[in-house]
Amino acid sequence: MVETSEIVQAKKTSPYQLGLQVFIVLAILTAVEFVFAFYLNVWPVLALVALSKGGLVMYYYMHISRLFEVDRTEDRESFAYKLSSNRLGLWFFMLSDGFIFGGLFIARFNLLALSRPDVNQFLGLTITSVLLISSFFANRAEVSMEHGNKSRALSSLLITIILGLLFLIGVLGVEWRIAPFGPGDGAQGAVFYSMTGFHAFHVLTGIIFLTIIRRNIARDRFTSEKHWGVEAAVVYWHFVDFIWIFFYPALYLIGVVIH
Amino acid sequence: MESHETLKHYKILPIFRGFLFEILGNIFGILLVVLVRVLMRLPAWKPEPAIVVGSLFGALFFLYGVGVLDDWFKWVAGGETPEHEDEVGQWGWKRYFSVSHDHKVIGMQYLALALILFTVGGTFALIFRTELAEPGLQFLSPIEYNTLMSLHGIVMIIGILIGISAVMNYTVPLLIGAKDMAFPRLNAFSFWIAVPSVVILLSSMAFGGFDTGWTGYPPLSIRAPLGMQMFFLGVSLSSFSSILSALNILVTVIRLRARGMTPFRLPIFIWAAIATSVIAMTATQLIGLAFQMVMLERLLGMGFFDPINGGNPILFEHLFWFYSHPAVYVFILPGLGVISELLPVFVRKPLYGYKWVAMSSLGIAFSGFLVWGHHMFASGMAEYLRQPFMYSTLLVAVPTGVKFFSWVATLWKGKISFPTPMLFVLGSIVVFLLGGLSGPPNGTVSTDLLLNNTYFILGHFHDTLFGGYVLPFFAAIYYWWPKMTGKRLNEKLGKVHFWLMAPPMVVLTLLMMRIGLLGMRRRVDDYDPSLGFTPYHIIMTIMGFLIGLSVIFFFINVWLTAKRGEVVKGNVWESRSPEWQVPNPMPVHNYDREVIVVGNPYDYGLPGSRYVIFEGDEIPPDEGAAKPQLVPEPTSGNS
Repeated sequence: MVETSEIVQAKKTSPYQLGLQVFIVLAILTAVEFVFAFYLNVWPVLALVALSKGGLVMYYYMHISRLFEVDRTEDRESFAYKLSSNRLGLWFFMLSDGFIFGGLFIARFNLLALSRPDVNQFLGLTITSVLLISSFFANRAEVSMEHGNKSRALSSLLITIILGLLFLIGVLGVEWRIAPFGPGDGAQGAVFYSMTGFHAFHVLTGIIFLTIIRRNIARDRFTSEKHWGVEAAVVYWHFVDFIWIFFYPALYLIGVVIH
Repeated sequence: MESHETLKHYKILPIFRGFLFEILGNIFGILLVVLVRVLMRLPAWKPEPAIVVGSLFGALFFLYGVGVLDDWFKWVAGGETPEHEDEVGQWGWKRYFSVSHDHKVIGMQYLALALILFTVGGTFALIFRTELAEPGLQFLSPIEYNTLMSLHGIVMIIGILIGISAVMNYTVPLLIGAKDMAFPRLNAFSFWIAVPSVVILLSSMAFGGFDTGWTGYPPLSIRAPLGMQMFFLGVSLSSFSSILSALNILVTVIRLRARGMTPFRLPIFIWAAIATSVIAMTATQLIGLAFQMVMLERLLGMGFFDPINGGNPILFEHLFWFYSHPAVYVFILPGLGVISELLPVFVRKPLYGYKWVAMSSLGIAFSGFLVWGHHMFASGMAEYLRQPFMYSTLLVAVPTGVKFFSWVATLWKGKISFPTPMLFVLGSIVVFLLGGLSGPPNGTVSTDLLLNNTYFILGHFHDTLFGGYVLPFFAAIYYWWPKMTGKRLNEKLGKVHFWLMAPPMVVLTLLMMRIGLLGMRRRVDDYDPSLGFTPYHIIMTIMGFLIGLSVIFFFINVWLTAKRGEVVKGNVWESRSPEWQVPNPMPVHNYDREVIVVGNPYDYGLPGSRYVIFEGDEIPPDEGAAKPQLVPEPTSGNS
């Protein structure tokens, strides 16, 4: 008995620590990426860093391994069975959505090659950090929900939403205003405003989802066993972060500035 | 007949309510644009953004008005909604005009929309075909001709995509023994978003039309009339229908297969559906993106594709064809799947090389992702890309050849019967063969540079789409009609339909190829009488009208069957598939007992073999002792 309770105890604490550890690694990688881009701008290394960050987010925050869990039940009507189907559906949706961003990515390198728009570096690093921190809190919210810690889930979600709004203000309110070019100014305007715009639209929808589930957590619509809505919104939020992990170097770091 | 709870509060038919809301949404969007422009101190009225944003909001309001979002709004408010299985009541004919979560109803809604689109697109074709019968312009202006020609293309393509959704939605859950799709609400959404997008697409005629053909290449599309935007918006919105429907099919097949239905016991049509859905779910996003980029370029002056503004028109072609070439496999794979599915039923023999046919569908899908450049041999694309694209294109012929081999070998020494669905199946094999044989000349760089943009291309793709999609589509309709309605379509009229449709199509496309080789350009509204093409064009026009007539026969058939058709109760075609083991028409929740797969799907003619049993059924004594297991066993010789 003692042993099992210890295991339960270990399970309860470790995911918080895991989330934090992953976040610290992500933060270090982001710093490395940023510094590297200024001293030695070789795009394959930046791509490698972005890929590692994306992999970390996908594995530890988005829990891609849950897709491969064996069904505990054969009962098609049960919550557990439908949960697995829902997860599969969500991942297919993200795969499909990823093709939009992939298309924008291709357009960016086709039109601008190894040059990049003239944008504010400090702001770029700030909003990237904001989004990364928000991902940490989103993960914390989900883990808290799993452990039935409602108040912690609520506070974490609130922080996530506020950080998301800060990101939006950073991109739409500040970045778009101070950029030295408009959407109609050649290929760099087109690339920059479309990539940030499509991404900001996803951030906005993510904020809406998080707000909805936060309200429903507050009204006790989810339990620690049944909280697919929380999981879906949080995974979607990580997906938006995942996309930005690749957009950030593509827009801010890779290549030389167009003047 | 208890009325559906969620439908009670609608005073008017939901579809009309949707259109009412669409008008409101249009007004809302236009006012929104005016307001924003006033706030930004710009002149208040500019038609293009107002009408585009208005149409977008019209589509969103339509979805709200028709009620497809209701359940999701309830979830947002923290409420619960009944599962599809718990829903009771039929609501009579009205359920076909309202949001239903039953995949069979949705399938028939898709079917009706697809047939409407085929009729509209076909009418466009007949109008400009008549114009082409004589040299010179008789009754169409150039922009009218271009609009009709472009709309014929895109309306037919959207119609085909919706028709595929119709066949897949209706049959996939039945074939795999499921009660419904994995996501019934998403399924309803995928259908209903297609309705406003079709309305928007067709409204392009009211806004000056467009003259780019269905491909919408910039920079011409950046300078085309306002109708161009309606085309882009309509196609972008309808792409969501295709994507979400494909996603649903994939999850359904992966998660809701009957017990014992291992991958190589799937009906062969399911393999085709998987292959097609993989393409539709992923690549479709890129055509949506490419079209949205042109829309943004027109609205905000963003320089993606216009070289004057720093853009690259070739980029559009890459993004566009990355979807639009795999899209033709989206069109034909379900069609070829229908052929492989129906052939063993009417030949009473196992499908030859089941595993190879299953894998060939995936092979076509995956190689289809690597060939888009063959549309751009003459576009100014980097020259070193031509050879790899040529070879990858020719590679597609290999899995397609596997399918042909399987069909011929299945027919070999079979006990062939010739009811209407079988006629359509055989017709599609012949027509698709013509399309396939005319493909390699287009895929080879040296010959394509000559054939590019001629009627030869028209002949080629009309054959592939007719043989690969239209004829199998009608085969599927004739085959599954008793399942859908409980009545069998009239055989005589069905045969008239076939013989008026397939042979004229062959004549039409062969003549297209002939004058294409002689130098007739495609997409032109006029040609030089001294070229001597006039008699060909007259014959082609007559053939076009014969095909139109055949479709009228089909509609007469549907109407007469509904009036006084032959009521069929049981297994009309003596098929082994689970859906034919239950009464016609299909019961509301498909199978009231669980379907269990105990054998291979196409072992026709093998004594004592069984494909499915139902939970509680006794396994027949002659085989019960030998093989009660549910795990796959070595297949009986044919694969």
